[in-house]
Amino acid sequence: MSKSDAQNYNPEKGYVALLGWSLNAVEAADRFDRRYVVVAPDWAQPYCDEHDIPYVPWNFERLNDRSLEIAQTLKEMGVDISIPLFEETVEWAGAINSVLLDNPRLFGQAMLLRDKALMKRRAQLGGIRVGIFEEAHDKEDVVRFLKRVNQTLLKLDGDPNDPIHLKAFDKAGCLGHRVIRTPDEVDTIPDEEFPVLMESHLDGWEFAVEAWIHNGKIKFLNISEYVTLGYSVFVPATPELEKYRPEITRQIEKLIKTFDIEFGFIHPEYFVTSDGEMYFGEVAYRPPGFKVFELLEQAYGFNAYHGMILAFDPKTTEQEIDAFFPKEVVDAKGHAGCFGVYPRRRVVSHLQIPAETEDHEYFESHELAAPVEETVTKRTAFGTHWGLVYFFGKDPHILRDLLKHQEDLDFYV
Amino acid sequence: MSQPEEYNLMEASKLQSLTEKLDRAIDSLSQTRNFAKVAKIQPLFDIVRRVLQQEGGCAVVEERAQRLEEAGIFAGSDWAQPHILIPTLSTFSLKSPEPNTVVIEALSELRLLAVAMGDYIHPTMSREQAHHFLTQVLAINLELLFGVAGEAEREQQGKLAGIPRALFRHLAERIGYEHVIDQLIEEIWRILQQRPIQVDSVKQMITQIAICQSNPDIDLGASGQGADRLISSLYGPTQACREDPGVAVYLERLEGMDSGALQYEATGFARAMHDTGLVSPYHAVLLRYLLNHGDHLLAEGMGLSSTGRDCLLCYADLVRALIDEAIHPETAQGIFGLAQLLERGILYQPPLAPALWRQLALPLSAYSNERLALAFGPSPSARAWLLQGVLCMLGQPLGVGQGNNPTCQSARALSMWAYNDPDYLLQMVVWAARDDEIIIHFEGQPISSRDSLSGVATEIPLDLDPVSMLVVPHLDRIYAEMGRRCIGRPGDPHRWVNPEFHGWWSGRGFRINVDVETGKLDQLDDFLRHFYASYHPYYNGNQPLIHPQPAGIAVTDSAARFIGWHAITILRVSLDPREVMRVYFFNPNNDSGQNWGDGITVSTAGEGERFGESSLPFEQFASRLYIFHFDPLESGELAIIPAEELSEVNARISRSWGVDRLPANELQASPGTT
Repeated sequence: MSKSDAQNYNPEKGYVALLGWSLNAVEAADRFDRRYVVVAPDWAQPYCDEHDIPYVPWNFERLNDRSLEIAQTLKEMGVDISIPLFEETVEWAGAINSVLLDNPRLFGQAMLLRDKALMKRRAQLGGIRVGIFEEAHDKEDVVRFLKRVNQTLLKLDGDPNDPIHLKAFDKAGCLGHRVIRTPDEVDTIPDEEFPVLMESHLDGWEFAVEAWIHNGKIKFLNISEYVTLGYSVFVPATPELEKYRPEITRQIEKLIKTFDIEFGFIHPEYFVTSDGEMYFGEVAYRPPGFKVFELLEQAYGFNAYHGMILAFDPKTTEQEIDAFFPKEVVDAKGHAGCFGVYPRRRVVSHLQIPAETEDHEYFESHELAAPVEETVTKRTAFGTHWGLVYFFGKDPHILRDLLKHQEDLDFYV
Repeated sequence: MSQPEEYNLMEASKLQSLTEKLDRAIDSLSQTRNFAKVAKIQPLFDIVRRVLQQEGGCAVVEERAQRLEEAGIFAGSDWAQPHILIPTLSTFSLKSPEPNTVVIEALSELRLLAVAMGDYIHPTMSREQAHHFLTQVLAINLELLFGVAGEAEREQQGKLAGIPRALFRHLAERIGYEHVIDQLIEEIWRILQQRPIQVDSVKQMITQIAICQSNPDIDLGASGQGADRLISSLYGPTQACREDPGVAVYLERLEGMDSGALQYEATGFARAMHDTGLVSPYHAVLLRYLLNHGDHLLAEGMGLSSTGRDCLLCYADLVRALIDEAIHPETAQGIFGLAQLLERGILYQPPLAPALWRQLALPLSAYSNERLALAFGPSPSARAWLLQGVLCMLGQPLGVGQGNNPTCQSARALSMWAYNDPDYLLQMVVWAARDDEIIIHFEGQPISSRDSLSGVATEIPLDLDPVSMLVVPHLDRIYAEMGRRCIGRPGDPHRWVNPEFHGWWSGRGFRINVDVETGKLDQLDDFLRHFYASYHPYYNGNQPLIHPQPAGIAVTDSAARFIGWHAITILRVSLDPREVMRVYFFNPNNDSGQNWGDGITVSTAGEGERFGESSLPFEQFASRLYIFHFDPLESGELAIIPAEELSEVNARISRSWGVDRLPANELQASPGTT
């Protein structure tokens, strides 16, 4: 790295620790005005050494007796706050921040945010609407829940069942997410996936929210519209979804109050049913997957990681953060979306971007790689896509239909 | 608005919107911290590719060349150091099926264009250097500038193939066609001095020049003067065919000539042929016509010296039969092969004449017929093509090339046999062409090319001479099978494979300076001293090398970085005209004039080389050698080389391919120089 590339930070501002390794986050932090340090497993060490990235090694496993050690280390270094980048580091951030800020409640809060069942209970207690849910410890629990949910819906024997959703307690997003419709399908769940959280299926429009919070107030609220869950998302949303913004804002404020969130960044998911009722799905205290941060940067021009550092840093002033964020929706230069590509064929040999995609005015770029293996493993759960394709354009409806249409195209042939 | 106008407007607005995306992508990369650039480069590559695929895209990218480079698009790649780039490699990059490779190469050329035009002051490349580099690239890729896209290109690259073509049109327009031509002519002469068997690409380039010269829209200025000899040697070497009248007209003219005029024609053709190594189709017409005349005119028509003429007189019937069967306007290049064959005097070896008679009457298998027809066309006949190939290989054993295939071992073997054991080569040709099977024994066990399924090359090569085309696939499989039979033996399999594969004269003694297990250098001093003792006349009792010996080279690039292991043949070691001890060797790749970095440039002419030989001063050669063979019965006393010379060779190794291979203890002995 050249000398001119060295970070210039403002000594008046906070010193932040990034928990987990994310190149985009580190890169953003490096050109921001806050001093930072990366806390990541030791495999990140050679890269950090090579590029003079400030680094403290730490292996994030389950919290244990040594957890205090990293908090003490960071405290001695003068770190003001830690920021979780991944689901697995959320509880670590809670534990560390409770030491750094001398506020033991933060740890309990983090544990709530880490466990999907606890999270739902807490939401329910706070008067937030959630669907029917239950923990399952084995397959029998799943069959019972499936039957009960469908009885509640006054289904008769032989009627097609409403599906239920199974999710791991503590994994991010779609990882381990399964949809179960019949008792037969229960057998396909491997035993090691238990315990899981079961939820009734909500027919409605699913969307996500990204909210930056400072001093208990929302500083920026984005609504991410899913075109198809697990495939595509775009920001800002269509006017049809944005019309719920006042109601959504009220819901988020309720959530902030219920979970007692003073600062930082949350990423909840909701359903809005046809009658306009909002159902809470889950909330995460970390950046969303699917590169929503990159989409926001393209649509609004601000760096979402910088926003996150501001929202976490206790030394951030009200004026500073207000000046940082643009005005929602009206300040957007356009709509940015991305599509996650899954190979559609069983055997693929190479990557071929469909001409109609590449030639579309809205097409921006892709990060797909050539296939390493010819056979595609069958998708059991929602799985991981092979890479994202980015689009950007003025008209949200064209963008939405374009994203939907990508599902019918072959990117791997 | 008319439809084409509307279309143009649409295209223009598309380029406009892509240009905006390009600008955004450049800004985004340049704002990214250095350590994260690599991860963010792909979108920029993509958008550059899409811009280049638009009409006018090259100009857009050229204008942004400096910003692109400063944003870091070349970071971490060879292209970041334009001064080490090699023009010849551009062809492979631009023909790659991999979009990023095509894009980065095109980008690099456009960047150098901006430098050459003075729009971009580059830290490591001067205007003149950039200009020089681009003219070379243009010259080498002239077929991309003028030719039409081949089937292979389309098949491999699809839509990408448009990029190199648009790039070269843009380059030529900006640089000026006249600069391209002179460079190209120089390049052609350099290649021809190596007298390759395959001259199709050279002929193509000469044809391109001829087309350029006759196109009134291209102003060549004062350039292109040196092309006359090249063009005339193909299209009109003599007075009677000066204006390229066509073979039928020329034959008519011959029929009206007296022997004085015929003699004049014969001398003219011979001079052109020996000047350039190229043969005009008219030459074939003449030679066939001279079959009905005396041996004197025939000898004259091939430009034979007294050796060649004697040979012709001794084997007049055979030579006439060879001409009759093999020499046609399409296969005219065989005349040069035949002339060289006669000059070598190898017909005096007892088996050779009967073997060539056998070749003349050889029935080809259906498969061989099909392969030859596929590669060379139906006319005159597969047999004539093969026979022409045989003449060329026997006449120009060092003109064998491996084409664009990883089969240097097989090409080396063919060249070695043609050079040292020509009747064995003819035997191989018969087995391959007639029987579709070659059997070579390995340590007493027969290996059939039919039973061994896979060779080194995964595809059947088509860019070879007729003999290589039929024989190489067999040899390649046998070679690979020999390697497989050595699996599990300690050390390098070439120890056993080379002598069994090439012939009894390959020394059974074997020396390698790399430990196969660790990849580290091993007993380097002893290796070098042994090599000097075996090959250097000052250390081996002034014994010239008797038989060609296989050897292995660690090939390095112009920045002296290791590229790969390569098979060559050591032919002789002797003093050059300037009294420097040189190793003369055969390199089966297609153009041996390579820059191996650290001041080592392989010479192919002007240092006492015979046609097709490469050469390097002895110690420079020793610094790239990693395998050699020797006769274990010769005294193996290690040479006492002056310490200075030994350390010089050692230093060259550790500065180049040996840089990561120093054994641990040596590293401790000499701590880093930084």
